[in-house]
Amino acid sequence: MTPPAHIHKLRPNEIRGAPVSDQRRKELEDLIARVALGDRAAFDALYDATSAKLHAVCLSVLKDRPEAEETLQEVYIRIWKSAARYSANGLSPMTWLITIARNRSIDRLRSRNSGPSTAPAEAAASVASAEPGPETATIRAQERQMLDECLAQLAEPQAGAVRAVYLEGITYADLAEREGKPINTVRSWLRRSLLRLKDCVSQ
Amino acid sequence: MSDETTPLSPPEEDEALAAELALGLLDGAEAEAAVRRLQDDPRFAAAVRAWQERLAHLAEGLVPVMAPARARQNIRERLGHAVPPLSTDPGARTAWWRGPVGAILGLAAVAAVALLLVLPGLRDGAPDPAVPGYQAQLVAADADLAVSATARGREMEVALERGPAPAGRDWEIWWIEPEGGAVISIGLVPREGVLRLTLPEGLELEDGVQIALSDEPEGGSPTGVATGPVVAVAPLTRL
Repeated sequence: MTPPAHIHKLRPNEIRGAPVSDQRRKELEDLIARVALGDRAAFDALYDATSAKLHAVCLSVLKDRPEAEETLQEVYIRIWKSAARYSANGLSPMTWLITIARNRSIDRLRSRNSGPSTAPAEAAASVASAEPGPETATIRAQERQMLDECLAQLAEPQAGAVRAVYLEGITYADLAEREGKPINTVRSWLRRSLLRLKDCVSQ
Repeated sequence: MSDETTPLSPPEEDEALAAELALGLLDGAEAEAAVRRLQDDPRFAAAVRAWQERLAHLAEGLVPVMAPARARQNIRERLGHAVPPLSTDPGARTAWWRGPVGAILGLAAVAAVALLLVLPGLRDGAPDPAVPGYQAQLVAADADLAVSATARGREMEVALERGPAPAGRDWEIWWIEPEGGAVISIGLVPREGVLRLTLPEGLELEDGVQIALSDEPEGGSPTGVATGPVVAVAPLTRL
């Protein structure tokens, strides 16, 4: 399978290094906590700090500027309305924000063709967790590097499929069409790739 | 891969299902069952969250793309924030929309935005002279297009001096990091007035940064990567 060309174009352009610092993470958590209390200045600051990244997520999935812009607005409206539930879900702030942006974008992508039927993953972001939030910025930076290295260890079609599913919202049906194989075959193949990825990252 | 035909073990099945739910790959009854399981099975819910954390690193690698200023204005309007609040915290820095401009935001948003553009310095007060300012003057080869960009701290302004994009097209502004670094869209050249923006996380004003303009469909490149020819490029130099 040929992974989508624009992802390859983007990869060398990734913002280098610059792990999210612990201080920045704390700032984002603090902003979200204030947004939960209805603080509009905090909401504005959160938008300044994160909207370019979330816009990039919307654009990656939708590949259409006006739709990405409209979706970005829905994302921040959702952030405003659900910030009070953030502290209970155990996700790091950027993961929570990225997950909202990605799920909204995928909902929109899929409603282009048919009715929305998939992507209930957002429910997972609202499930309370008693566990402490994940780790420090250093660990987070290491994890990101580890994910890149582990993706590199998968065969390119597998790694490309994982990226395309996450960053572009493609489905098993799309993958099957690209690969010219039955859905069950590509599903089994991707599930094994995901398990291998997890084993590699967890080492 | 020799294990390709071996069935997954039950723990592997659970892990794969958690990944699929996090990725939004499930549908129909399978999706509903997995979502229900989130409520009843804390270990499964934790596995889904772990996948969300793991996969979010992919998005952290995406090149940030500034959204147009009207997106923020629309969000404010949809949340009913575009009117002055009844009370303000006197200790807080005055947000720009709570100042004198806030009073007229009841008017059409377009009018309010237009006014903002001609009232300099409302946003953050006078610039701090200790922070070095930068500027770039972008001129097309045939000199029919001229755009100025100035930046200080995290604030940047871009103004069209002459040569608006043809109908149905836009000039898109790109930030090019030194020595072959990232190329990041920071917005579109306004057809009139000044575009004000806050630099996204990861972009630092420094020597060696270049600003470029490319010719794109109206609304900007549909992919976040320049699709049209670069019509002008210039380094950001210290004021």
